[in-house]
Amino acid sequence: MPFQSIFVISEKKESLYELCFGARKLSDQVTAVIFGDRTAAENVADCGAKCVLYCPTESCIPEDYCKAIASEVKKSPCALVLLNNSVRSRCIAGKLGAYLDTAVITCASEIVADNGDIVCKRTVYGGAAISSQAFTGSYGVITVGNGIFGDIDAKYPVTEKIEQISEKPECTVKIIARNEKKSGGTNLAAAKRIVDVGRGLASEEDLDMCNQLASLLDAEVGCSRPVAENNKWMPISNYIGLTGTTVKPDLLFALGVSGQVQHIAGINKSKVIVAINKDKNAPIFKNADFGIVGDIYKIVPALIKKLS
Amino acid sequence: MKIIVCCKIVPDEQEIGVLPSKELDLSKASWKISQYDLNAIEAAKKLSSETSGFLTALSVGRSSALEGTKIRKDILSRGPEELALVIDDTHMFSDSLETAKAIAAALKSTDGFDVVLCGTGSGDLYSQEVGIQVGALLDIPTVNNVTDIRPNGNILEVERTLEDGIEVLEVTLPAVLSVTSDINVPSVPAMKEIMRAGKKPVHVLEVPLTDALPSINNLSQQVPDQQERRMIIIEGDDEEAVESLYQFLKKEIL
Ligand SMILES: Cc1cc2nc3c(=O)[nH]c(=O)nc-3n(C[C@H](O)[C@H](O)[C@H](O)COP(=O)(O)OP(=O)(O)OC[C@H]3O[C@@H](n4cnc5c(N)ncnc54)[C@H](O)[C@@H]3O)c2cc1C
Repeated sequence: MPFQSIFVISEKKESLYELCFGARKLSDQVTAVIFGDRTAAENVADCGAKCVLYCPTESCIPEDYCKAIASEVKKSPCALVLLNNSVRSRCIAGKLGAYLDTAVITCASEIVADNGDIVCKRTVYGGAAISSQAFTGSYGVITVGNGIFGDIDAKYPVTEKIEQISEKPECTVKIIARNEKKSGGTNLAAAKRIVDVGRGLASEEDLDMCNQLASLLDAEVGCSRPVAENNKWMPISNYIGLTGTTVKPDLLFALGVSGQVQHIAGINKSKVIVAINKDKNAPIFKNADFGIVGDIYKIVPALIKKLS
Repeated sequence: MKIIVCCKIVPDEQEIGVLPSKELDLSKASWKISQYDLNAIEAAKKLSSETSGFLTALSVGRSSALEGTKIRKDILSRGPEELALVIDDTHMFSDSLETAKAIAAALKSTDGFDVVLCGTGSGDLYSQEVGIQVGALLDIPTVNNVTDIRPNGNILEVERTLEDGIEVLEVTLPAVLSVTSDINVPSVPAMKEIMRAGKKPVHVLEVPLTDALPSINNLSQQVPDQQERRMIIIEGDDEEAVESLYQFLKKEIL
């Protein structure tokens, strides 16, 4: 199905520019949908879209506009909708999909035009395979993985066409409070060396040992999903893997990480992987350049001594 | 409160093999409850006990996944009082809307509910969209990434965690909520619950799924190239092992 027009929906300015840049590679007919007032829309008038639609949100949340946005999309006989892969965007994507009678392709790692078709790639089975998919209907909704379109190397003219979305929002849940959260995580995606901490660590205090090793190696500290999510010992943005950050350091040093597929999917671009795990059958060893079957509580302190 | 928790039965990812054609071999993988649906079941159990509610589990899928008594008992040992199944071999349930339409059809065939809970995403496809699409199809409130649920009369106060903040939302019922994988730590079923599970009712629903058509065409599925690794593995945590690790690091990076 050739999609002549593309709608880019974004709550964040950076992702709006990134998505519009990617959308322009696929079509000239790009409409941007943003959340905010006319001034906010005027501020992004050079994003690459032919038209910027704005949805004022002083008394509601962006999700409340899903039906209104679906009506706009339906004005095109066939169209693609692109969003980033944030929690809120996935919520908007799912609702829009239901209204446009289409599934959502989540966290696409590649979007290309192929003989008039749009073909997306996404990771399935925890990283075990990459699936190529295309929509069969007149509409498609995609959430886009981080940075897949590369650096923005185009400038677009400022569009004059800035309009308020025509339909009213429909408030389905009431927001009673909102607290900003400091993300505070480290930039692991750019790190050259990473100490990767898994659930083999027995307690939060033992992070000291990992931090010490990291500082001697001039490395950042990342972790597996359960260390961040269940133990809450590190910010969510510090976990590595398929559903977390993908890293590509020169050295990744895994401590007490079992090496399940979903975690490996995030570390297999590392140049060198070193692993310590007391279970010799842990799958991490199949993905390691150098491994020691042993106790991190014996090896790490001894290594710290040698390095200091 | 009438609560329905959705759970998907997926192939165990640790047992998925690779064929010489670089396609996945699912034939040897056993079936299990999708990891993050365990959090949904736990959250549902808690909500049910807080509201003196009744908890039903719902699973939609193909017969290969849902026919086994072991998997049915596994679900029922974790808290639900009954299990409803939609078994259909004419569907692959491989896109979010196809699955959401099947679940919505199953929900419509029940005699009503207050809350539907889903996990954050399934272990195999992880589209993280099914719960939201179910809510949108039924035109009832829906929230994703829920990290806390507090019942308050006939509304729920729900905490939702975003990348840069936390929202507290008031949700009227009926509603569909997708919970995160850190909302709780799923408990291990006690022996008593495992024994009781075999006696709980399982209803195979007769729901026509004629509307639940796929909207995504799966063109191909390929195993990515494995990065070559040297796999120098040493056993033992003595001085000698540490010295070789030190030498390795020195050679590689220091
Ligand atoms: C849909 C989905 C997406 C997921 N996405 C991600 C993701 O992006 N990232 C991610 O990390 N996970 C992800 N997971 C979770 C993943 O499946 C694993 O559960 C997780 O990676 C395991 O983390 P771990 O290795 O720290 O813990 P475990 O698997 O519990 O491993 C701990 C290891 O420590 C070793 N150990 C214990 N004590 C010691 C000691 N003293 N010395 C040495 N070794 C010791 C043990 O032998 C064991 O191998 C996902 C799961 C699903 C279902």
